[in-house]
Amino acid sequence: METTDSPDVADGATSSSGKTESPVNLDAVRERLDRVHDPELDRSIVELQYVKTIDIDGRTVTVTFVLPTAWCSPAFAWMMATGIRDEVSALPAVSSVTVRLSDHMHGDEITTGVNRGLSFESVFEDAEDGIEAVRRKLDRKARFARQHGAIKTLRQAGLDPDQIAPLTRADVDLEHRSDLAAVRVRDGALTITVARDPLVDYIAKARETGLVTGETDRLFADREGDPLDPEPEAFDSTLRDARLASTNIEGQATICESLHESRNGVEFD
Amino acid sequence: MYTHDGEDVFVIDGHIHLWDATKENIIHEGGEQFIQCFYDYHTGFTPEEEQWDMDTYRHYGTERMVQDLFRDGYVDMGIFQPTYLTDFYDEGFNTTDQNAELAEQYPERFVLNGSFDPRDGDEGIEHLERLKDDYDVQGVKLYTAEWRGDSKGWRLDSDEAFRFLEKCAELGIENIHAHKGPTIRPLNRDAFDVRDVDDAATSFPDLNFIVEHVGFPRVDDFCHIATQETNVYGGLAVAAPFAQNRPRKFAEMMGELLFWVGEDNLLFGSDYGIWEPDWLVPAVMDAEFTKEERAEYGVELSPEVKRKIMGENAARLYDIDIEAKKEEFRDDAISREFGLGDTYEEASAD
Repeated sequence: METTDSPDVADGATSSSGKTESPVNLDAVRERLDRVHDPELDRSIVELQYVKTIDIDGRTVTVTFVLPTAWCSPAFAWMMATGIRDEVSALPAVSSVTVRLSDHMHGDEITTGVNRGLSFESVFEDAEDGIEAVRRKLDRKARFARQHGAIKTLRQAGLDPDQIAPLTRADVDLEHRSDLAAVRVRDGALTITVARDPLVDYIAKARETGLVTGETDRLFADREGDPLDPEPEAFDSTLRDARLASTNIEGQATICESLHESRNGVEFD
Repeated sequence: MYTHDGEDVFVIDGHIHLWDATKENIIHEGGEQFIQCFYDYHTGFTPEEEQWDMDTYRHYGTERMVQDLFRDGYVDMGIFQPTYLTDFYDEGFNTTDQNAELAEQYPERFVLNGSFDPRDGDEGIEHLERLKDDYDVQGVKLYTAEWRGDSKGWRLDSDEAFRFLEKCAELGIENIHAHKGPTIRPLNRDAFDVRDVDDAATSFPDLNFIVEHVGFPRVDDFCHIATQETNVYGGLAVAAPFAQNRPRKFAEMMGELLFWVGEDNLLFGSDYGIWEPDWLVPAVMDAEFTKEERAEYGVELSPEVKRKIMGENAARLYDIDIEAKKEEFRDDAISREFGLGDTYEEASAD
């Protein structure tokens, strides 16, 4: 059996334990886990150091994770637990995945429910909102918060609200260079290159939330999902609103990091 | 009294507690979970050398509190925010009657707030009237997420709550502090949702609604409400300690709050005993924006602004005459006990 303990996992250190041959690659498991996000903080559970241990035994993988507090929303914990199960199961070499949520007030219900493939609603009968409704709400917030970073990047590159508001997916080439994206403005008369990452992050979330699915879809929208008004004052007001959404997430992440350090002994830079 | 760059800063700590979480007082496992959760917040944001052990944390008592606030903590006045939790704690966790023990000993230094719970009906109304009669309370602290029997919380925009808010207006209890924000185990997250404040604040324009903990993790929802309603304020407890271990996050948060909520509507609070003012007051007073932050938010975190947040705004809500208080504190019981009289002399302002 191959085991790693946090914070090695998050640090990317390799396992130091015995070398039983397994077709499952530890780095591949980590890479899948990195795709699972804390839905409220909009960050990877690997980056947030929630993954406590990864045990690989033949084709069976067991992932144990821990949250900053024992009273983190069960709905959020459920989303992360199912995310872990689904991402790791997607590896062809893996035949079965067990997820364990440790030190949580609903740890047993969530661990059992997710491993048995039950629905959130059947395990938490008194929950007011269904899991998908909660996820959509948080995803919309995250989309809006990420938009701040994307638009700021475009503004810094010299684009004005008139040029940003009507941009569609087809106007952005994310594969222009490894670190740069190309943005077409003035009906293609001009192409401007900008830092790639903020746009990649944003567009991924915009796709997930269904805002941007086709080439002709507008890239950006206000909090409610309506198209941006290019009038400078209205545009700036929406940009500030997106900044607030981002600051809120960052602020909550600060609280969670501190609690996580205090309770679980992890360390953040 | 605190001085910053040679200037006096009158500190009104807008959020203090005197609680009893001793094992003998706990009657429900929720009571133990609750104090353990408080302790995680304490250790999470307190410099290591300032952290308390759990026994002290359960019950620090009046003597230590007075020293921590006034002798060591630069606090000039403190506002008690009770937290009843009578389903969890035999005598309550931190009730107005418990707080009164200290508030009545030093009435010039403390503001004593009451509380109500609309689920108590007529009895609750009588309780509120008694608190007004006994202590002349000018404010209430509300815990919408508090458990009561089968109920896991209540809303500020319900008919039952409106009846109590009407009673507050009638009795002249003008300051409504609602704990909205970080979930506290074992209380339910959604019972801390901030949105019910909106309707209440619109319906009661003569009351002030102070959203404690600025609505975390829904600061954005809180800001949207506060920017529309002039009678909505933000209490900085929980956000303030960012100044100590996450100074840039604190600056971002203050940038947003000053932009959306405004410098006249923010109140400092240590949340004592969760955090202590002796390190928290200097951390907040020393916080400054970088040039970039100032340009980004278009607001100032100047000494004047910080003085408002530290005391002047709370003084306005609670009709406290700061100059008269300074004069009184040259020779009150606390100043005599801790030799603080000199700090209130005119000369210290020069």
